Amino acid sequence: MRRLRFIAQKEFYHVLRDARSLTIVLAMPMIMTFLYGYAINLDTENIVISVIDYDKTSESRNLADRLYNSTYFSMPKTKVDNLDPECALRSGRTQAVLIIKPGFAKALHTGEPFSLGLIIDGSDNNVSAAIQNYASILLQRFLTERLDPHVRLPVVKISPQVLYNPDLQSSHFFVPALVAIILLMVSALLTSVTISREKETGTIEQLLTAPVKPIEILLGKILPYVVIALIDGIIVLIFAKIVFGVPFVGSHLLLLGFGLIYISTSLSIGILISSLVKTQQVAMMFTAITTLLPSVMLSGFFAIKNMPVALQLLSYIIPARYFVTIIRGIMLKGAGLHVLAGQGLILLLLMTIAVFIASRKFSTKVG
Amino acid sequence: MWRAFVGLVKKEFIQILRDPNMLRLIFMMPLIQLILFGYVVNTEVKRIALDVYDFDRSYLSREFVNSMRAGNYFVPSRSEVSLRDLEERFKDGSGEMALVIPQDFSEKLVKGDQVTVGLVADGSNSNSALVGQGYAAQIAQKFSRQQANLSPPVEIRQQVLYNPEAESVYFMVPGIVAALLTMLSVMLTSMAIVRERERGTLEQLLVTPISTITLLVGKITPFAILGLFEMVFVLMVGVLWFGIPFVGSPVLLFALSAVYLLAALGIGMFFSTVTTTQQQAMFFAWFFSIFALLTSGFFTPIANMPQWLQYITYLNPMRYFLSIVRGIMMKGAGFFDLLPDITAQTVFAIVIFSFSALRFTKR
Repeated sequence: MRRLRFIAQKEFYHVLRDARSLTIVLAMPMIMTFLYGYAINLDTENIVISVIDYDKTSESRNLADRLYNSTYFSMPKTKVDNLDPECALRSGRTQAVLIIKPGFAKALHTGEPFSLGLIIDGSDNNVSAAIQNYASILLQRFLTERLDPHVRLPVVKISPQVLYNPDLQSSHFFVPALVAIILLMVSALLTSVTISREKETGTIEQLLTAPVKPIEILLGKILPYVVIALIDGIIVLIFAKIVFGVPFVGSHLLLLGFGLIYISTSLSIGILISSLVKTQQVAMMFTAITTLLPSVMLSGFFAIKNMPVALQLLSYIIPARYFVTIIRGIMLKGAGLHVLAGQGLILLLLMTIAVFIASRKFSTKVG
Repeated sequence: MWRAFVGLVKKEFIQILRDPNMLRLIFMMPLIQLILFGYVVNTEVKRIALDVYDFDRSYLSREFVNSMRAGNYFVPSRSEVSLRDLEERFKDGSGEMALVIPQDFSEKLVKGDQVTVGLVADGSNSNSALVGQGYAAQIAQKFSRQQANLSPPVEIRQQVLYNPEAESVYFMVPGIVAALLTMLSVMLTSMAIVRERERGTLEQLLVTPISTITLLVGKITPFAILGLFEMVFVLMVGVLWFGIPFVGSPVLLFALSAVYLLAALGIGMFFSTVTTTQQQAMFFAWFFSIFALLTSGFFTPIANMPQWLQYITYLNPMRYFLSIVRGIMMKGAGFFDLLPDITAQTVFAIVIFSFSALRFTKR
């Protein structure tokens, strides 16, 4: 126990001595939360659309105004050449072009079939889907208002009710998941680098010849980072509350418990990686590529059920996936222990596997 | 001078490639990015699990539920729990939306009255809740029109250019090219220079008769080569495996990538002048990469961001490079189509690179 404390103390000095790293470790979660919270916004708005109006009637102008008055669409900065709309699309000055041929107003009155032309920049498939959707919704509304008021329509009206996040703030969805990513980043990245640093500078031999057991070295090296990760997690949560107003419905204590499990799992992955590689550079790249990136991509930032089956299966071994479910459940929905216990057990299992492999690799190196 | 330069580049290459793990990483990194970004980043909302509570149980209500299947937006299924326990399915994450059809659904419809259907959404995923509501409203409107036998007089005829199949891989691969060049050059350059400082070998290099500028160029050339090699590798996999179209001029893309590389290497170099350990350099580089990726329009369009953040994106060189790569590969844009982006990127590259080189030589 005493030896464990010394190693932890030594590691603490290492961290505290390096003021620059410490500043980054503490400032990073705040800046990241800020960036992610604002930069990732899936509500597609302000799509630049150009209208080429050959009809030039009050009806066609009305339709164009309808588009621009909605929050979905906005006007281009420079007017688009009537003869070559594709040039504007190619240079990215506009994302869609609506062409109203002559006869639009006439068709509205006579009721004969008429089609509007819509050319869309499809390079971003999500935006192009949104353009098609919004354009047809706005057109439908425009047409419905023009119907004879005496016609009585059977109408199915949808009355929506949103639970947990009634204002539909995307930050309420992303920020809790961000806690998972930042905890992982601090724990896995830092531990993987710290052990490979000892290897690189050769001090690992000194440590191994000292009268401490390998497991004590590992635990001692992990402990300081548990503390740092916890502080970081709390910083992000405070930030989430103050800046983004993310609610916290469930139990704080429960989240702390699950948080500790998750941090330990991430740390053991960091240890596992550092037991496999030799230099800090490789350790960092390896962690970034095999741990951080998949965690961001496969933990529920993006809908898992829309992915190919192979990736869906892969997501089951990503610890962040379970923690994202846990933290969203506790913070937004007030889920209790009985709902989330299964997720916690899987985290513990993943941790055991990582520690087992790492300690085997580590002790064979000693002998 | 030339021999010293060649020697340096050789030394650096040996140092990079000596470690078998590093070699593996160089090939693994683009492949993993391709697979993850190509298949995963699909923010389109589809197949929403819809729990149906049908209290009417009539032909019309079944028709309505069936119409919700259109377009693959919803997967309706009769709910197994009672209406009182509706939230249980939301809490453990297995249900996403619930549709509640009232008892008098068909009765009112036949009379031509307005009937209200309840839609309960789990708002914690704000995006799919919002989009799901939109889909439901659209489908309901279409259903109403069908019941009234009204056909819309005006319709939209769409033509989607550049990526008509709406493949997200096509859109992501050009982005990965930009992301890889950024991450790889900034991280590796900053760490490689700091490593020499950490170990004290930088002083040894500085006292050799090599001029500082040769040292600098020799140090970063391998990473420039590596970056361009990675780019070609990604493009090959993208074109051969994912079958993405490459519409524009490869020569133009290559030339502009070299300009961008200058900016990225310059940033890496800058980080190496303000840090003393590899760990610090790694943090700076990692942090910068996240910033660059998030504010470049890689994940979500810049137009979606708040205005103040949109101004900040102008300071991100990757923003310009991303629209260049996408423009050339997907739309076949030429030099003049991209002139504003090219100008901004070139100015950036020159300023950043000379600033960092000056800082480095002063040390």
